[in-house]
Amino acid sequence: MTDKPAFAWRITLKRRLIVAVSVLAIWSSAIEARLVYLQIGQHAELTERAERQQLRTVETTARRGDILDRNGRVLAYSVEADSIYAVPTEIDNPAAAAAALCLALADCGPEEKETLTERFTRDRAFAYVRRQVSPDDARRVADLDLEGVGFMKENRRFYPNKDLAAQVLGYVGIDNTGLRGIEAAYNTVVSGQPGTVLIQTDARRRAFSRVERPPTTGATLELTIDEYLQHVAERELRAGVEENVAAGGTAVVMDPRTGEILALASWPTFNPNAYRDAQPESQRNRATQDIYEPGSTFKIVTASAALEENVVEPNAPIDVSAGEIRFGRRVINDDHRSGILSFTDVIVHSSNVGAIKVGLQVGRERLGRYVERFGFGARSSRDFPGESGGIVWDPSKLNDSALASVSMGYQIGVTPMQMAAAVSAIANGGELLTPRVVGAVIADGVRTPTERTVVRRAVSRSTAAVVTEIMEQVVERGTGARAKVPGFPTAGKTGTAQKVVNGRYSKSDYNASFVGFVPSREPMFTIVVVIDSPHGKNLYYGSGVAGPIFRRIADAALRHYGVAPTLHAAPPVLMAGSEAPRPRPVARPAQFPSFVTVASGPTGSTAVFPDLRGLGARDALRVLAGLGMTPRLRGAGVVVEQEPAAGSQIASGVVATLTLDRNVIREVVPPPVADVLPAAGLTP
Amino acid sequence: MFEKRLYHHIDWGLLAAVLVLCAVGLSQIYSATGGWTQIVETQIYAVLLGLVALTVCLSVDYRTLADKSHFIYLAMIVALVYVLLFGTVRGGARRWIDFGAFNLQPSEFAKLALALVLAKFVGENRRGGVSRMDLVVVGVLTAVPLMIIARQPDLGSAALLIPVAFTVAFVGGMPMRFLGVLAVVGLLATPVVWQFALQDYQQERISTFLDPSQDARGAGYQQIQARITVGSGGVWGQGFTEGTQGQLRFLPVAHNDFIFSVLAEEQGFAGVIVTLGLYLFVILRALESARLAKDRLGAYLVLGVLASFTFQVIYNITMSAGLAPVKGLTLPLMSYGGSSMIATLAGFGLMLNVRMRRFTN
Repeated sequence: MTDKPAFAWRITLKRRLIVAVSVLAIWSSAIEARLVYLQIGQHAELTERAERQQLRTVETTARRGDILDRNGRVLAYSVEADSIYAVPTEIDNPAAAAAALCLALADCGPEEKETLTERFTRDRAFAYVRRQVSPDDARRVADLDLEGVGFMKENRRFYPNKDLAAQVLGYVGIDNTGLRGIEAAYNTVVSGQPGTVLIQTDARRRAFSRVERPPTTGATLELTIDEYLQHVAERELRAGVEENVAAGGTAVVMDPRTGEILALASWPTFNPNAYRDAQPESQRNRATQDIYEPGSTFKIVTASAALEENVVEPNAPIDVSAGEIRFGRRVINDDHRSGILSFTDVIVHSSNVGAIKVGLQVGRERLGRYVERFGFGARSSRDFPGESGGIVWDPSKLNDSALASVSMGYQIGVTPMQMAAAVSAIANGGELLTPRVVGAVIADGVRTPTERTVVRRAVSRSTAAVVTEIMEQVVERGTGARAKVPGFPTAGKTGTAQKVVNGRYSKSDYNASFVGFVPSREPMFTIVVVIDSPHGKNLYYGSGVAGPIFRRIADAALRHYGVAPTLHAAPPVLMAGSEAPRPRPVARPAQFPSFVTVASGPTGSTAVFPDLRGLGARDALRVLAGLGMTPRLRGAGVVVEQEPAAGSQIASGVVATLTLDRNVIREVVPPPVADVLPAAGLTP
Repeated sequence: MFEKRLYHHIDWGLLAAVLVLCAVGLSQIYSATGGWTQIVETQIYAVLLGLVALTVCLSVDYRTLADKSHFIYLAMIVALVYVLLFGTVRGGARRWIDFGAFNLQPSEFAKLALALVLAKFVGENRRGGVSRMDLVVVGVLTAVPLMIIARQPDLGSAALLIPVAFTVAFVGGMPMRFLGVLAVVGLLATPVVWQFALQDYQQERISTFLDPSQDARGAGYQQIQARITVGSGGVWGQGFTEGTQGQLRFLPVAHNDFIFSVLAEEQGFAGVIVTLGLYLFVILRALESARLAKDRLGAYLVLGVLASFTFQVIYNITMSAGLAPVKGLTLPLMSYGGSSMIATLAGFGLMLNVRMRRFTN
């Protein structure tokens, strides 16, 4: 080859190749920088984006457990309903899709259509069209066969009895979450666990693989509510409220022996199937959420305190002839003037003056203690979400005027439920029980009943018996005459309390209430009726307004349970409790606890009180005498309670109070007295 | 014709790198199409046929081929016109000649024919560097097949002819001021081309490239998905056949235009760097052949063939990394495509041809 010397092609080639190689080098650096940026810098973010478009997590709602009444009748159940959703990014024409859907759905106005269009326009992967639609709606939408519109199954709650026990049951929000009542309080129990389905989809949204975790069905709740009694209570409450032109009211029916709530009615009420349309007013469970001043019904507590503390005898004369009592400028009147009344008659005729006099005698500390013992000022049960604890003033801060108010049921805020529990304590012989509406939880075929729970002993049996007798007379010949259930001895107490309106006691608005239990000698039903602001022909008194409602509910309940009329009433002292007195377990370990071992030095000043429970009276006395303590015994049999408690320091000269009972569970073997004595630092 | 001596001058390193790239491509096609499919088999046949073509192109002295280049060029034009008139239509484009057992895409071979004819023209130019008149001839020789291919329409393949012509003219000694003139003409022509020459869908592709999110479900989709695919590979990749983006078909034509993205997802940054290195090795090795070529013809032939190869590699990888508009340009040696594979390997045959005959007369 002979190239012209003028054109050195190789040199040109070489030079220009260097240019080309440089361009190549720049490019490869750039592309590598880009790859580092994408694969290392943005790796996490892009991986997440990949997963987001590939994986779909669908929650499958769990089936919510049913709610039954005490006899197994269904009060609430769940059915599967279709929910319609859309994948907005798959909808090409939001307006057209919204219009088509709107046409298919019943009652879809232009407003909803606009909302849908707006939702479809957003750059989202998911939007609800409408949830829990009717089968008809679902079918019509399915027929449209729209791209980007899908269905999923969701649970919908139904309350077949509509407004029956609405406030007790509450309702469930759209996300299977209980929002009120039992549905809220026991949400975690009944809701079950939602399942998840993890779906890997390809670019055409076809499922590729799926990982499923199935949902678990919620537990079934068996309530203590009796559907029939609930119905009766609601019917009578409503009739009473309407007859008396009242603002509302509540009625509680409780089994005083077990604490079970048989019926719990509030008026006005609502339909939980359409809870969205319900007024907040009607959703309130008035029995547990409303605080009211109980008025004269609270004299039961005052009387119990006075009798238990031996301040008065039932027959003690009390002078109420003045008809009024003054605290500075405050004057409290009786409705009816009387002369000298027995304590029983003070309650029977509901004398404010008499009750105040007794209350002042009891004193603020002791009355305060009984207010607490009867459960006021504390929430009664976990079964009532939103329950109020009431308002109880610190007794040490009460002056005489305030103490007088409390004695007759003012300056204290209670709920009807607390009142029912307190009256049940009188009815069952002195034990305050926890009210409950859930009778049993049925999960996986196993029925677990809830337990009768004793909060504490409020008063002794004898006090309860005496108060019962007084309450019987209230109905027999006093203010509660209109509550008398024919054929059954009835115990009760009326209450009429002025409502506080705008911070002052109203002259026109009252709470008229009646509390009581039947049959009083063998109580089965404690019934509390509170009517809010009656303005009818029966005026505003508890006797005329609430008494008849009490009677009608009691009558229906007794009939429904087939209770035979009481012909020969048992003496009230023995009637306490429905069964024969329960044996009281001795809460004491079989082995003598080591902590009782007394470190008693030669001075003998720091001895510790031994555990005497389980010992007979004679052995207990020997121990106490050895310790130089004054014994005081109550009852007969073996020691079941002691005061001071075991293990507490002994100061000599202190009175030791022992409660004895014959009905102890015998499996607890009392240690030989020979062991007790040295343990207490003594020699036999 | 094929002396034993020549055998020793074959660039075995280049050939090995090319074959490794074919193997990598095959494995990624296997992965992207979900196993041992018809597509994988076809690609294997294509590689084998390509090796036959490579051997043919290797065997005949490139000078002999260059002497016949005007016949080859004319045959190519005839084939392209035939395709335009009687070709098989697929996906709205008339690009294939149906041979029953397989379809042939003549446009893939056009760049080889053009490289031959241009190398011959410029390389045996006795006037020295490329003059203005030469440039016009080069332009005409390029424009004829380009127009025909663009009519199919196959803008990608048509565009590949430009780097061939440009490179040959450039290294052939085109005065640098022409470069400036070309740049100005190109800039001025852009709006005209945009307005009149580009179809709507082509305009859309470019505008989507500039802002992919404006049409995330349409034209911008591929670009976004390519980025996600590459990014989710990370440093070490998700593993062979484990790349979810490719496997779940979020990335369209994964075995074809986006094979590099699939590789990036499954083999990660590490695998990508190795592959990229192989391509760079192949390109630099070919450049070396051009530098060592015995004569201008050989050098320009190598560079002409290499130009379209390099351009295609660069464009495809840039696109796969989401840095260029999505264009139907495959990744040579790796993407699925029989005609492309055969033409590419034939091209390497030509390049090897020049190198191994650098000592012969």
